[in-house]
Amino acid sequence: MRGVRYSVWLVTMAAAAADPPTTVEFNRDIRPLLSDRCYTCHGPDQANRKTKLRFDVEEVAKSDLGGRFALVAADPAKSEMIRRITSQDPVQRMPPAWAGHNRLGDRDIHLLRRWIEQGARWEKHWSLIPPRRRVLPEVKDKSWSRNAIDPFVLERLEREGMKPSPEAGRERLIRRAALDLTGLPPEPAEVDAFLADRSPDAYEKLVDGLLESPRYGERMAARWLDAARYADTNGYQTDAERFMWRWRDWVIEAFNRNQPFDLFTLEQIAGDMLPNATLDQKIATGFNRNHRGNGEGGIIPEEYAVEYVADRVETTATVWLGATLGCARCHDHKYDPFLQKDYYRLFAYFNNIPEKGRANKYGNSAPLIPAPTPPQQAELRRHDELLAAAEKKFRELEPEARRAQRDWEKSLAGSTPVYWSAPAGRVARFFVRQELDGQRVVEAGDVGNFGFLDKFTLAARIYPTAATGAILTRATEVLEGDGYGIYLKDGRVQLNLVQRWLDDALRVETEAPLDLNRWRHVLATYDGSRESDGVRIYVDGRPQKLRILLDELNQDFAVKEPLRIGGGGGLENRFRGSIEEAHVYNVALNEREAGVAAVEGSIQEIAALPVGQRTPAHADQLAWYFLEERAPGNLRQAWSELQQARRQRQRFVESIPTVMVMQEQETPRDTFLLVRGAYDRPGEKVTPGVPAALQPLPKGAANNRLGFARWLVDPANPFTARVIVNRFWLMYFGVGLVKTVEDFGSQGEWPSHPELLDWLATEFLRSGWDVKALQKLIVTSATYRQASRVSPGLAQKDPENRLLARGPRVRLPAETVRDQALAISGLLVDKIGGPSVKPYQPAGLWRELSGGQDYRQDHGENLYRRSLYTFWKRAVPPPALMLFDSAGREACTVRESRTNTPLQALTLMNDVTYMEAARVLAERMMREGGNAPAERAAWAFRRATARLPGPRETQTLLDSFHYYLDQYRTNPEAARKLISQGESPGDQKLDSGELAAYTSVASLILNLDEVVTKE
Amino acid sequence: MSRNNPEHELLMTRRHFFSRSSAGLGAAVLATLLGDELKAQGGLAPQPHFAPKAKRVIYLFQSGAPSQLELFDFKPKLYQMRGVELPASVRMGQRLTGMTATQATFPVAPSLFKFAQHGKSGAWASELLPHTARIVDQLCFIKSMHTEAINHDPAITFFQTGHQLAGRPSIGAWLSYGLGSENQDLPAFVVMTSHGSGNVGDQPLYDRLWGSGFLPTRYQGVKFRASGDPVLYLSNPAGMSDPGRRRFLDDLAKLNQIQLEEFGDPEISTRIAQYEMAYRMQTSVPELTDLSKEPDAIFEMYGPDSRKPGTFAANCLLARRLAERGVRFIQLFHRGWDQHNKLPKQIVGQARDTDQPGAALIQDLKQRGLLDDTLVVWGGEFGRTVYCQGRLTEDDYGRDHHPRCFTIWMAGAGVRPGITHGETDDFCYNITRDPVHVHDLHATILHCLGIDHTRLTFKFQGRHFRLTDVHGNIVKQVLA
Repeated sequence: MRGVRYSVWLVTMAAAAADPPTTVEFNRDIRPLLSDRCYTCHGPDQANRKTKLRFDVEEVAKSDLGGRFALVAADPAKSEMIRRITSQDPVQRMPPAWAGHNRLGDRDIHLLRRWIEQGARWEKHWSLIPPRRRVLPEVKDKSWSRNAIDPFVLERLEREGMKPSPEAGRERLIRRAALDLTGLPPEPAEVDAFLADRSPDAYEKLVDGLLESPRYGERMAARWLDAARYADTNGYQTDAERFMWRWRDWVIEAFNRNQPFDLFTLEQIAGDMLPNATLDQKIATGFNRNHRGNGEGGIIPEEYAVEYVADRVETTATVWLGATLGCARCHDHKYDPFLQKDYYRLFAYFNNIPEKGRANKYGNSAPLIPAPTPPQQAELRRHDELLAAAEKKFRELEPEARRAQRDWEKSLAGSTPVYWSAPAGRVARFFVRQELDGQRVVEAGDVGNFGFLDKFTLAARIYPTAATGAILTRATEVLEGDGYGIYLKDGRVQLNLVQRWLDDALRVETEAPLDLNRWRHVLATYDGSRESDGVRIYVDGRPQKLRILLDELNQDFAVKEPLRIGGGGGLENRFRGSIEEAHVYNVALNEREAGVAAVEGSIQEIAALPVGQRTPAHADQLAWYFLEERAPGNLRQAWSELQQARRQRQRFVESIPTVMVMQEQETPRDTFLLVRGAYDRPGEKVTPGVPAALQPLPKGAANNRLGFARWLVDPANPFTARVIVNRFWLMYFGVGLVKTVEDFGSQGEWPSHPELLDWLATEFLRSGWDVKALQKLIVTSATYRQASRVSPGLAQKDPENRLLARGPRVRLPAETVRDQALAISGLLVDKIGGPSVKPYQPAGLWRELSGGQDYRQDHGENLYRRSLYTFWKRAVPPPALMLFDSAGREACTVRESRTNTPLQALTLMNDVTYMEAARVLAERMMREGGNAPAERAAWAFRRATARLPGPRETQTLLDSFHYYLDQYRTNPEAARKLISQGESPGDQKLDSGELAAYTSVASLILNLDEVVTKE
Repeated sequence: MSRNNPEHELLMTRRHFFSRSSAGLGAAVLATLLGDELKAQGGLAPQPHFAPKAKRVIYLFQSGAPSQLELFDFKPKLYQMRGVELPASVRMGQRLTGMTATQATFPVAPSLFKFAQHGKSGAWASELLPHTARIVDQLCFIKSMHTEAINHDPAITFFQTGHQLAGRPSIGAWLSYGLGSENQDLPAFVVMTSHGSGNVGDQPLYDRLWGSGFLPTRYQGVKFRASGDPVLYLSNPAGMSDPGRRRFLDDLAKLNQIQLEEFGDPEISTRIAQYEMAYRMQTSVPELTDLSKEPDAIFEMYGPDSRKPGTFAANCLLARRLAERGVRFIQLFHRGWDQHNKLPKQIVGQARDTDQPGAALIQDLKQRGLLDDTLVVWGGEFGRTVYCQGRLTEDDYGRDHHPRCFTIWMAGAGVRPGITHGETDDFCYNITRDPVHVHDLHATILHCLGIDHTRLTFKFQGRHFRLTDVHGNIVKQVLA
C-alpha cells in the first residue's frame, strides 16, 4: 500500500511546515491573512465596508475607535482585534460565522498576536513597490553558483539547512533544455555532439544553438497564445471559423527575432497608433481582438460590446500586471487598491474601436485588414507590376485606339443594329413581354443562387405604376420572407438580403423615391461583405444616396426558390406596371459598368450621337464594345491583357488572408462607469486613465491606448517586468517564484524568493527587455541545471520544490506531448506558420454538439504539424490536447495546469496519433536501429529519452518484444491491423509480425512516465 | 474574466490532498482517483457538510428552452385573448431579444394543446406528455423559475456554471470536486447528448458546458458517446488484444517503477495507478454501455427509441445504469427545443422524444430503490413568450425566448413529490408567487447533496468562488 505510506508521510510534513516563523513579516505573513479574512468588510471596497475600521490602511487600522483600538503596537492584550478573533462568543467572534470558510485557525491567530507583539509594523504591498536590485547575497558555498540567480537560491537553501542537488547528467540536461527552449526533444546526433564536447562552455553553446532554432519561437508562442486566448473560431453559439493565424505567426516571428519585450508589448497593445505603422505592427494588435465574438441571433449588441472591451481590460491586466482587475468591474476591488472607476478609466482606452456588439457569425469582424504573408506581399507586388505594365502598354496605344475607333464609328452608318452591354459576369437576361398587373409574376427558374458571401448585381428596366412591388427576387413567397430581392417600396428602390426579417438582414434603400409611370433603369450591387457599405444602388446609371434600414446580416440568405420577376416576398408585393428586361450578374458591377448597363439603344444609335451629346456611359459603351469586338488585333490584345491583369490581381487580392486588428474611431466613444458592471446601467462618465494607486503615465505619453502601452513598459511600472519574468520562470520550473502568476495582489502568494524576483526583473529591464538573454540566464543557472531526483528528505521538506533544492521534474505541456511523439518517430513536419491544420480527431465530435458540419480531418503533411497549428475550435477544442490540460482558449489563461488522469493513459495508448508514431518509430528501429532486438530497443529508447536504457530496462523491453513477437507471429491478422494505424504509408518490405512487435515496444516507450516528463 | 488554473499541481497527486486538507476541500480528487483507498483513511473527507438526502443527480437538460405554455403551465384565460396585443401592463417594458424587439405587434398565442389535471396532486400537464402525466405525483414542479440571460449560450452557461460568460466550473465539476465518485472504475461526472426531432440542427452545445473552468481539468465531465468509443480513446487499437494490453501495462509498470526508484517522485506512482484505472475503465465502460442484457420489459418501458444508441431514451436508460454504479453527476442534454416558428409541429416531436423515457427513468429508479438517493432534474435554460413570434395563424405560431418565467420539475431524493411551487400570471409572463432563480436552484440541488452552497468554494484569482457566486437561497418549500 504504497499510497498509504506516502500519505502518512506527507501529513507529518504538512504539520511540520505549518510552524509559524519567529520573525513575522507583514507582507509575507500578515497581509495575506488580513486580505483573505478581513478585507471583505474591512477593506478597500467602500460600498461593502461594514464599519469605519479598515485593515488596508495603516492609519485607520491603528486609530482610536471610541476609546478602543483594533491594534496597539506591542500590546496584544489591548488590541481589540485579538480579543475579537479569539472570542468564544459567536456574536463577538471575528470573522463572523456567516463568513463560513473564513474562520481563523490557531496558527493564524498566533501569527497575528506575534506580529502585534513585534510592533505591528506595516509595509506597502510588495508588488506596488518598484523592484529593487539588491547586491547578491553572501553564501557559504562559493563554488556552486554559475550566475546571479544562484546565490539567491543558495542563500535560502543554506538558511534552511539544505544543499542543492548535483548537476543533472548531460543526457537529461540536453533533453530538458531542448524541450524547454524548443518544445522538441534533441536528436540523437545532437546528444552525441553535446556528450562529446568537453569544453567548459559546451552547455552555453548548446543553449545558444537552441535559442537560435526557429523552433524556439514556436515554443514561446504556445504559452503566449494561451494568454492571448487565441483560437480559430469565434466562440459563443455557432462558434464558426475566424482567421487570426497571421497574428499567431507574427508572435512566432517576434520571438524568433528576439524582439525586445517592450516593443513586443507596444505593438500588440497599440501598434496601429505608432507613427507610420507597418503592416506587421498592425497585425500585432490582433492580440486584443482574439477575444470571443458573439454573432447569436437575438442578442443585445450593446451587452456584448461591453464584454469585448471588458475582456481586453482584464486580459491585458492579467498578462502584464498580474492584476485581478476584473473584480473592479462591478465594485471597488475588495483586496487591492483598484477603484471601480479605475476599471472604467482603463476600459476607456480600449473602448474606441469601430466594432459592433454583434460580431459576424462567420469569419472575421471589423475592424480587419488584409494581411498578406511575405510571399503574398511579393506576389502582390508582381501583380501590381504586371498591371502597371499592361496599363502602360495600353496607354501608349490609346491615341491609335481613338483614331481607329473614330474610323470605325464612321463605318457604322446603315449597318445592322447591335445591342451590347458589358458582358462580364452576366449570368441571365430576361425580357418580359407581359404587363404586370399586380397578380402576374414571372418565374425564371433556378437562376442566381447567391449566398451572403457572393458578389452579385441585379438590374432591371422598369415602368412602375404603383409605388410598391417586387422587381427581381429570389425569396420565399411570404411577406417579410427570407432570401434576396430588389423591391420598389413606397417609390424607393430597396435591396433586401434576408435571413430573418427583423434581425438578420441587410436592408438598404434609396433616399429619394422614384416618380411613377415612366421608364427607369434600376441596378443594385452587393459585394459579399455582409456589410451595408458593400451595397450600391443606381438609378438610370447614377449612384444613389442610400439609407441603411438594417445592417445585421449574419447568416446565409439563400433559399430554394426560383428567381422571380415582378414578385416574391408575398402576394402583397406583386409589381404593377412593366419590367422590360432584367439582368443578373455574378459580379458586383462598378460604377462605370453600372452606367453602361443602364444605357439604352444600339451601338449604332450611340455612335450616331455627336460626341458632345454622349454621356460618359455612352462613351464607355462604345469604347468597350469597340475594344472587345471590333478593334484591330494589337489593340484588342492590349485591352484584353489589361482586363486580364486587373482580374488576376483582384482574384489574388481576394485570396489574401485578413486579420482582425485594433483601430481608433475618429469620434471617440464616451465611456461610463457601469453600475454593477451592467451594460444597461451607465453611471458617471469617465475619461481614460491609469489606476490612481499606480505610477502616472510616463512623461510625454499621450493619454490614449498608445500612451497606456508605454505606461505598461515604463521602467517605473512595478508589475510588468516582475510578472513577465515570473511567467517565464513558471515555464521552466512548473511553478512561479510567485505561485499565483495571475495575481500579484494582496490575495496572491508571497514570492518564494522575493529578492531573486526583483533582481531578475531589474536585469530584464537593464538588458533592454532582451527575452532570449533572460531565457539564457535562467537555463544556464546552476539552479536550473540541478538533477531532479526527489530524495525522501527533499520530498518531505519541500514536496513542491519551492526552495529549488533540485531541478524541475514536470510533465510536458499538452502540445509538447504530441509534438515530441511526432519528432521521435520522425513524422514531424517542421513548416512554420500558415493556416491552422486539422490532424486526427475521433469522428463526429463536432457534429454531436453542433449538428452542422463535422470536423474535416486533413491529410498528408497537415497531420504532422506542430500542435500549435492545430485548428482550435472553442466549443469543441482538440480533445487529446484538452485531456493533457491545454488551456481552453475561451479566455486568458496564464497558469499552467498539470493533471495525471486515466484518460491521458487511454490517449497515449490508443489514439491513432500515438499508435502511428509508434509504428513509424518501429519501422525506423528495424531500418536504422541495428540488427539485434536489444540494440533496436535501445535505439528507440534513446530517441525518446536521450539516454540508453539500463540493464533492467533493456531486459523488460526485450521480454516485451519477445512476448509480442510470439503473439503477432501466431496471429498475422492482428499484426497487420496493428501496423495499419495512421495514414502515412507503411514500409511494406518489413516483416509484419516483427514490425507489430516493435510497434508495441515503441508504444511502450512513448507511454513511459519519463517520456512525457521533463526531468 | 480571465481563466487560470490554480492549485493544479497540488491537487493532482496524493500529496496535494494532504497539503490542502486544512482548507477543507479537494478530497474528491482522491476519491475519484483512489476510491476506497481514500475512504479507508477515514475522517479525511470533510464533505458533505451535513447528512445528504441525495447521493447523486441525474440532470435531464432540455436544451433550446421548452415552452412551458405547451407543456405544464396551463393558462385558460388566453383562449379568449387569441391574437390580442400583449398588454403593456404585463410586459412592463422588459427587454426582448433582438429577434422580436422590433416586431410591430405582440399578439397573444394560446397553446393549441389540451391540458388536464392528473394524479392525486392534480398537477396540470398537456396532452403532449401522456407518460409524464401518469407520474406527476412523484414530481415536484417549479413553475416560477427565472433567469437573467435571454440568449442560449449565456443562458445555458448560466445554468451550468452560475455565470453567463464561459470560464467558471460547471455544476457537475463542482460536485465532482466536492464529493468525488463512488465508483473507482468510472468518472464522477458523465455527460450524454442527443438530437431532438423538433428543431433539428439548431442550438449547438459546447464541451465547456461540462468543463471544469478554473477547477483542475480532472473534474470536467466525461462525455459518453453513442458512436465510436463510448469514452474517447477507450478501445485498444485494432490488433492489440486484451491480454496484449495487460502485458503492456505490466511492462509499463515495471519500467515506471524503475524510474520511481531512481527519482522518488510520487507523481510516477500516481501515473502507474492511472494506467491501472484506464485499464479498468476499458472493462467497466463497455459493460456499462452494453444494453443487450436489459430485458425487453425495460426497453418497452423507456419506449422504442431506447434501442437506438444516442437517443434521449437510450441515454435515460444509460443514466439509470450509471446511477446504479454510483456516478455522482449524470447529465443528459437533449437538443431541439428552440421553437421560434412552427412550434405546434416541432414540439410534438420533442415531447415524443422525451416524455416516455423521462417518465420511465423515474419509475425505473423507483422500482430499484434508487429514487431514494438520486435527485432527478428536468428543465431548459429559459422559457418561451406568450406572444407570437412571426405570424400567428390558425395552426401555427412561434415563441421567442422568455427568461421571466418557466417550468422545471425535480423528483427523487430530497424533494417533495406531488407539489407545484410558484405561480405565474394569467399571461404566463411574470411570476406572481415564489420566484426561484437559477442560483436558488443550484443552492437547493447542492443542499440535497448535503452541501452548503456558501461553503463549496475554490480560491482563484484571489477570490473564493462559489457555484452560486454571492447569491442563492435554498428553496425550502420544495424540500422533503
